[in-house]
Amino acid sequence: MSTRASELVALREQLAEAGYIAEAPLAAALLLMQDLGRPLLLEGDAGVGKTEVAKVLAGIRGTRLIRLQCYEGLDAHATIYEWNYQRQLLAIKLLEHDERGIAQKEQDIFSERYLLKRPLLEAISTDTAVVLLIDEIDRADEAFEAFLLELLSDFQLSIPELGTVQARSRPLVVITSNGTRELSDALRRRCLYQFIDYPDYAKELAIVRTRAPQVAAELAQQIVAFVQAVRRMDLEKKPGIAETLDWAAALLRLEIASIDLDSTEPIMESLSALIKTRADRAAFPREVVARLAAAC
Amino acid sequence: MLTGEGAVGFRAVEHLAGFVGFLRNNGFAVGGGDAIEVLRTAGRVGMLDESVLRWSLQALLCGRSEEWRRFDELFAAWFLPAQEAWRPAARHDSREHAQARPFGGGTARSAPAERDDSGRIAHLASDREALGSTDFRAVTRRADLLALEELMRRFARRLKRVRLRREARARRGRRLDLPGTIRRSVSSGGTPLRLSWRSQRRVRPRLLLLIDVSRSMTTFSFFYLRLARALSAELTDIRSFIFHTHLISVSDALAEPDPFRAQQRLQLIAQGWAGGTRIGESLAQFNSEHAPRCVHARTAVIIVSDGYDTGEPQRLSAALATLRRRARRIVWLNPLCGQADFTPVSAGMQAALPHIDLLASGADLASLEATLPAILEALR
Repeated sequence: MSTRASELVALREQLAEAGYIAEAPLAAALLLMQDLGRPLLLEGDAGVGKTEVAKVLAGIRGTRLIRLQCYEGLDAHATIYEWNYQRQLLAIKLLEHDERGIAQKEQDIFSERYLLKRPLLEAISTDTAVVLLIDEIDRADEAFEAFLLELLSDFQLSIPELGTVQARSRPLVVITSNGTRELSDALRRRCLYQFIDYPDYAKELAIVRTRAPQVAAELAQQIVAFVQAVRRMDLEKKPGIAETLDWAAALLRLEIASIDLDSTEPIMESLSALIKTRADRAAFPREVVARLAAAC
Repeated sequence: MLTGEGAVGFRAVEHLAGFVGFLRNNGFAVGGGDAIEVLRTAGRVGMLDESVLRWSLQALLCGRSEEWRRFDELFAAWFLPAQEAWRPAARHDSREHAQARPFGGGTARSAPAERDDSGRIAHLASDREALGSTDFRAVTRRADLLALEELMRRFARRLKRVRLRREARARRGRRLDLPGTIRRSVSSGGTPLRLSWRSQRRVRPRLLLLIDVSRSMTTFSFFYLRLARALSAELTDIRSFIFHTHLISVSDALAEPDPFRAQQRLQLIAQGWAGGTRIGESLAQFNSEHAPRCVHARTAVIIVSDGYDTGEPQRLSAALATLRRRARRIVWLNPLCGQADFTPVSAGMQAALPHIDLLASGADLASLEATLPAILEALR
């Protein structure tokens, strides 16, 4: 086995210990991300565990996770920095009788002391490298994307009053996207890419066993088989991994020992943990649930 | 020289670097600089373990999910020996004879003959003939094309204004924006002379075009593809699909900056062009595969079709109802609608009518121009 392959195995074990079941391509991308110092762009449907990657990465690296949740209208003041105006105004009043020249006072007022660091600036100004999670970038405007490129390519940020701030340490950047908007090619080219699909049976079973160890082995198999069958149906919103885990917890709470024809009734009651829209709910009358349960 | 060289021999370097060009020929968005990154990566991960190299290069070179899905096959075709037959044909450059050919018209008929050099000239002639006999020959004239593009630009600008006006109104909002007010007060020495407000910001509706390219629409499809291309040059968040018996995304092909390559890509896509129509099936396919990603509560769907559907009307009705719940507006452009004796009697149109917000014509420049204000009004 080559050294890289053994590194890969070691990383996957580490991730599994931290409670995240990663497929080999994802682990390979995580290793490469550190080699090349590039951000990692994760795409996939909601609920496949994209955000979790950053959390667990911070966990195994023993560093802080700085999270930037994107939304429409996100701007520089919310992401990089904001001057602490209240303190600055106070300082102006206090400095009124100061002997120093105007230029010096101004320099004092626009110094780092009066700077409120927002996630992006904070991520590059810590001494040890952190994990920076830019969550759901497709929700932010294109203007923000363009602006993010400067950070991602040079790891530096411009603050007009202070000048360019160089990164003290390079953060590991993880970007997630649900694909509601097409991202620019420039951004895609600067990132490593990983498409995360819904897990297959074996992977999902491993996830349920890791994250919900209190579920009995046999029930866990049935739960996963049921959810996989649900995902194959033509639904508006397919259940993600979080939904599977919620549903497993719901079944435990309802004290269901196994999924079969007899337990159709309580399963019907617990479906709200799995099915999240009205149209999808209509696709699960009693007969369908009974058929799915019998097949497990 | 390069980081990877120690670990990778000369032949291997050549082969690795060639992979980037191979991917580019297969439509991947990779650049020249990527070859160096590939060598660097290979140097790091080594070339002994095929799957580790594959996973690493996949993360490095893919940029979107379509590329992600095709990567394994292309990797195998390039690196694994004795699978020549697998290798997808590299795109051959045929700019010079694509030049004379517009988007629609006789593309499907021309596709198989394209590689035949001797038959090329004759073929071009037949293309012109095909176009010459269509109702839309007017649009192939350069001046009219420019007029169409200008019209679309105006439409796009008006569409953008829908957003801007809303934003301006937002500036006189109801809630005080305290940090903003203080920020503005700095220039007046801390006295808040000018207030700043917050209010819900609205953006323009996102457009989604679904264009029917079945046989009954042949005469119009070129015109509408041109329209889609002009619009996508103006608006960044527009998605376009064509459908006949099934549905294909053409956003990427339309966004291609080089018009000749855009034509080529559309020609490749348009296999099976001008066949029968199954609108219901196509819309259902759209609902299940694409709708969650590209339709949200502010999306305006514009369907261009004559409504002659060979599928079941119930299916069309159900698919439209589903789409209607997701989208903000559905506008149906029916080129036949402009004719004086038109009544929406076809089974497809009957099934569609209850679910659409606006049925309009748009068969040529003049009627399109007349229709656009109504479309804008419906999108508001």
